Amino acid sequence: MKKTLLIAALACAPTFAAAESFQEAFEMNRAMYGPDHVFTWNGNQYHTNHEEEMEARVKATKANAEDLLAKAMAKNKEVGELGFEWKLTKDILKDAQAAIDAGEYQKALDLAAQAKYHARIGIQQYHYAEKNWHLAVPQ
Amino acid sequence: MKIIKTLALGLTVAAATQMTHAADSGFDLKTVDPEADRMALQKYYKDRFPKAEISDYVNGIYAVDAASREQWVELEEFPPYEFDVEKGEELFNTPFANGKGYADCFENGGIGIRQNYPYWSKEEGTVKTLEQEINECREKNGEKKLRWGKGEIAQVSAYMAWTSRDKVFDIKVPEGDKDAMAAYLEGKKFFYTKRGQLNLSCANCHLQGSNVFIRADLPSPMLGHVTHFPVFRSKWGELGTLHRRYSGCHKDSRSKPLKPQHETFRNLEYFQTYMSNGLVVNGPGARK
Amino acid sequence: MRKLTTALCSAGLIAMFSAAPAVADNHADQIAMGKAVYMGKSRGNCISCHAIDDPDANLAGNQGPPTIAMKQRFPDKRKLRAQIWDASQNNPLTIMPPLGKHWILSEEEIDAVVEYIYQF
Repeated sequence: MKKTLLIAALACAPTFAAAESFQEAFEMNRAMYGPDHVFTWNGNQYHTNHEEEMEARVKATKANAEDLLAKAMAKNKEVGELGFEWKLTKDILKDAQAAIDAGEYQKALDLAAQAKYHARIGIQQYHYAEKNWHLAVPQ
Repeated sequence: MKIIKTLALGLTVAAATQMTHAADSGFDLKTVDPEADRMALQKYYKDRFPKAEISDYVNGIYAVDAASREQWVELEEFPPYEFDVEKGEELFNTPFANGKGYADCFENGGIGIRQNYPYWSKEEGTVKTLEQEINECREKNGEKKLRWGKGEIAQVSAYMAWTSRDKVFDIKVPEGDKDAMAAYLEGKKFFYTKRGQLNLSCANCHLQGSNVFIRADLPSPMLGHVTHFPVFRSKWGELGTLHRRYSGCHKDSRSKPLKPQHETFRNLEYFQTYMSNGLVVNGPGARK
Repeated sequence: MRKLTTALCSAGLIAMFSAAPAVADNHADQIAMGKAVYMGKSRGNCISCHAIDDPDANLAGNQGPPTIAMKQRFPDKRKLRAQIWDASQNNPLTIMPPLGKHWILSEEEIDAVVEYIYQF
């Protein structure tokens, strides 16, 4: 078992050397293994869950659902101000509110988490574009 | 250690390549050069579709795809926009309640001027489009604004394009005017920026993806994009404006779309029309 | 003693045989889901850019390479999963949407589409 891990680590080593940042290591592991996978980065162990997925893993109560929904709405406002709001996020937020109204708090938490994630990645997309948009221009 | 060295070398090379790349053409206000952009775009299409004449790009995808051209030529024998041009002419010549008309608002009585739009207005510090001035003309004369996407505004615009057919686009970005240059640059940046949940730029489909199938559709080349608007689109079953199409495309990237005539869309139109300088007005057009 | 062994063996065999179809069923469900994702316009819509040798595929686009020889092209199935999750990692200018990174598909749908295309 240990040997397998070592081989796996060696096989991954070149990729890890290039993918230095935590974000890159995280994304590579999430991409290959999906959620709930454990990986090692700089000697420490991490899981492949998005921060929003963890935020949804709380007691499914009205207060918790409302709290996460409020955070998601704030994030979506932030990405909107950058001009990078995604099309479906608004409806996901509405669905989350409807789930709260219907007393389905876990469903509301999961939807709010997804909306908050969409907003966060939209912000990331904006910052990436600011630095890299020129790469697409023909010379 | 060796790995680190190799990596460092790799990074330096990568950085250097990027720097030369960035220095080639303008990505900021200091270096932005619309004419260099236009030449680079024409070169791109010359290399990509050597057989297509640049002047034929006013015909969109039909410049580069023989099979769809055949269907389109047939369609153009009885142009689906004919009725709209007639309706547009009628609207254009119908006086407002105060007795004035569209002709009083435009240079040369509004005839044969489509190729001058959009233009940079120094006084207002913004890009002006034809549709915008159609509505401003109405408001100035006490009439209600028309809705931007379709219907009467598209018909009036279609008639004005019709009277301008074969006139050559010659959009100017006044040299030394920083604000005009910034508007052009913002339009250019918008075109090449990936956005939305699908992470798509205009360029993804209409530059690198032009004339490559998405399902049964062939995205049009961006060169010549604006010359034939407003357009009778079979998918709509009616005539629509350029900004209606912009909103639709923006939405297709799964972004929350901007509204027609938003400043960003006007800047995009400014950039795109500059890219089509030297091509002729052939609006209104018919497209799938 | 011998009887017991035989009994155990047959129990084991029965268990194996009965387990096998159950696994196959799960896998078949997963593949069916993957196919629906591949073809569905509001789901993966992979068909809009990638041709595939499935009799139910029609009017495939060609923005991307055809879905063939997946086992040869991706001996490591996880690399294939990563490519679907975020193709812009390997090519920042790609037209292919980051189906996992942008949470366009769920992680289950991504696993399913991997299983479906890995047959081709």
